[in-house]
Amino acid sequence: MAVIETSNLTYTYPFAEKPAFKDVNLKIERGEFVLLTGPSGCGKTTLCRCFNGLIPHFYGGNLEGEIVVAGLKPTEHPIYEMARHVGLVFQNPENQLFALTVEKDVAFGLENIGLPRDEIRRRVDWALKVTGIYDLKDRAPFELSGGQQQRVAIASVLAMQPEIIVLDEPTSFLDPLSAKSILEIIHRLNRDLEITVILVEHRLDLAARYADRVIIMDRGQIILDGEPRRVFLDERARLIGVGIPKVVRLYLMLMGDGIDLGRVPLSPEEISESIVEVLTSDRS
Amino acid sequence: MSMFDGLRFRNVSSPIHRIDPRAKFIYVCALFVAAVLFNQLIPLLILLLIQIPLVVMAKVVREWLRLIRGASFFAAIIFIMNVISLYFYGGYPSLASIIEHALAMTVRFIVLVESFSIFFLTTSPDMFGLSLEQIGVPYEFCFAFTTAIRFVPVLAEEAQTIIDAQRSRGLELEGGNIMRRIRNYIPILIPLIVNAIRRSLELAEAMESRAWGASKKRTNLYVLKMGSRDYCLIIVSILMVAASVYVWLFIKIPSITQILWP
Ligand SMILES: Nc1ncnc2c1ncn2[C@@H]1O[C@H](COP(=O)(O)OP(=O)(O)OP(=O)(O)O)[C@@H](O)[C@H]1O
Ligand SMILES: [Mg+2]
Repeated sequence: MAVIETSNLTYTYPFAEKPAFKDVNLKIERGEFVLLTGPSGCGKTTLCRCFNGLIPHFYGGNLEGEIVVAGLKPTEHPIYEMARHVGLVFQNPENQLFALTVEKDVAFGLENIGLPRDEIRRRVDWALKVTGIYDLKDRAPFELSGGQQQRVAIASVLAMQPEIIVLDEPTSFLDPLSAKSILEIIHRLNRDLEITVILVEHRLDLAARYADRVIIMDRGQIILDGEPRRVFLDERARLIGVGIPKVVRLYLMLMGDGIDLGRVPLSPEEISESIVEVLTSDRS
Repeated sequence: MSMFDGLRFRNVSSPIHRIDPRAKFIYVCALFVAAVLFNQLIPLLILLLIQIPLVVMAKVVREWLRLIRGASFFAAIIFIMNVISLYFYGGYPSLASIIEHALAMTVRFIVLVESFSIFFLTTSPDMFGLSLEQIGVPYEFCFAFTTAIRFVPVLAEEAQTIIDAQRSRGLELEGGNIMRRIRNYIPILIPLIVNAIRRSLELAEAMESRAWGASKKRTNLYVLKMGSRDYCLIIVSILMVAASVYVWLFIKIPSITQILWP
């Protein structure tokens, strides 16, 4: 069953002349890990804002077409109701943490929906453990590193136990190593807790391996949508200028030289495996 | 900045930090009343001295001294103004008694600063917000308060970055007359304000996304409970006010000049 479905979704910001995206048709299944990418300004963030109703409730503007998320229409339900089903993690970790201790921040959403105190305590501890920051629970968020702050942000949406987590470039303020560990956490949420993940990311080298599906947008439209190994091979992906993973480029270069690795690789581990395979079979 | 450092909370664990903010606030109010009641040097000095053990117990001596040092400039002004005005208008018998009275006013000011600084140095903003909430202040205000405090270091850092950036492009901050100096700060204020607005929009978006306003009956992860220690402090505060009022009404307090030169 589709957990997100849009048909001919078109949105224009207030005072904007042309729509930020146009006629988006999208169907995302429960439990999928979707990687959404595309050049700057193509409308990725804007699309994410529709999933929990920030558009149209917070931003106003003109939203046309149909959208259903977790069985609800975000246009008809207030943001706080959507927030139980859809968690949003934003780019800048600093501006999404408000409290003076980590655990208080993680509790924020649960406090808002008025859960009993012991239930809040239970869920906060759980979310802190899943994201590996239980030891930091009494620290002040602004004393933490960017990577730790982003974990707090993830824990705080996770504590709401949403079916869908949408992350808008969660690693863009981080160094590659912290980025990697954040992406691994996101992967675990998807694999172990079966949460549907929509990840907006430019760092395809790091993120591609986790995706079930890649969507590439350009100038407010979905250009490519499908299995990562197929999407990255498409000529259009290269022309738009999204950062096709280096291992895919290497695969294509070898292909040009007449070496067929068989499977399109999504990570260095995969390509080295294929290369070893080709080499050993050559010798025999 | 030294003045503000004194107001910044540092998390240490001490018996004073663990006292309920509401009890501490009552204590501050009691001191306030007592300090305003007296204008003689002896009782004000006593009020000044009895707080020093609290500062030591709370392990905030260094911050507290810095704050008092920051306040000493104002204290000096208060002292000089008092001496001058008492000399011209007051019917004081001698210069010594004028100085004593001016000193008393200065000590009163320091007692007030002292008691407020003990409160803010030993109360985490979170706990302060929580106690406001529990005495019935609407949650929105308490949230605005704690969030403002949380962003003070962030904004300070941002201001520094902007100052450095504008300086490296050749902006002169020092020099010139006062109007000129104010104008010099405009290239710093504008990006600072624009950034703050952008930041607050992002914050609002994040708050909305985490169910802000979902329920009228919001739960709070923490609850403050008054313990026996807190009730003790409240009783002490009440006794202190009662004693002060009694002394003020029925006992004639000698001045130090009278004692020295009867
Ligand atoms: N709050 C806003 N008000 C008006 N227009 C906006 C707003 N936010 C974005 N836009 C416009 O909408 C279009 C899509 O922007 P969006 O932020 O969704 O792109 P993006 O794909 O997330 O880009 P990036 O990779 O840089 O984050 C852009 O043309 C942008 O100028
Ligand atoms: Mg964006």
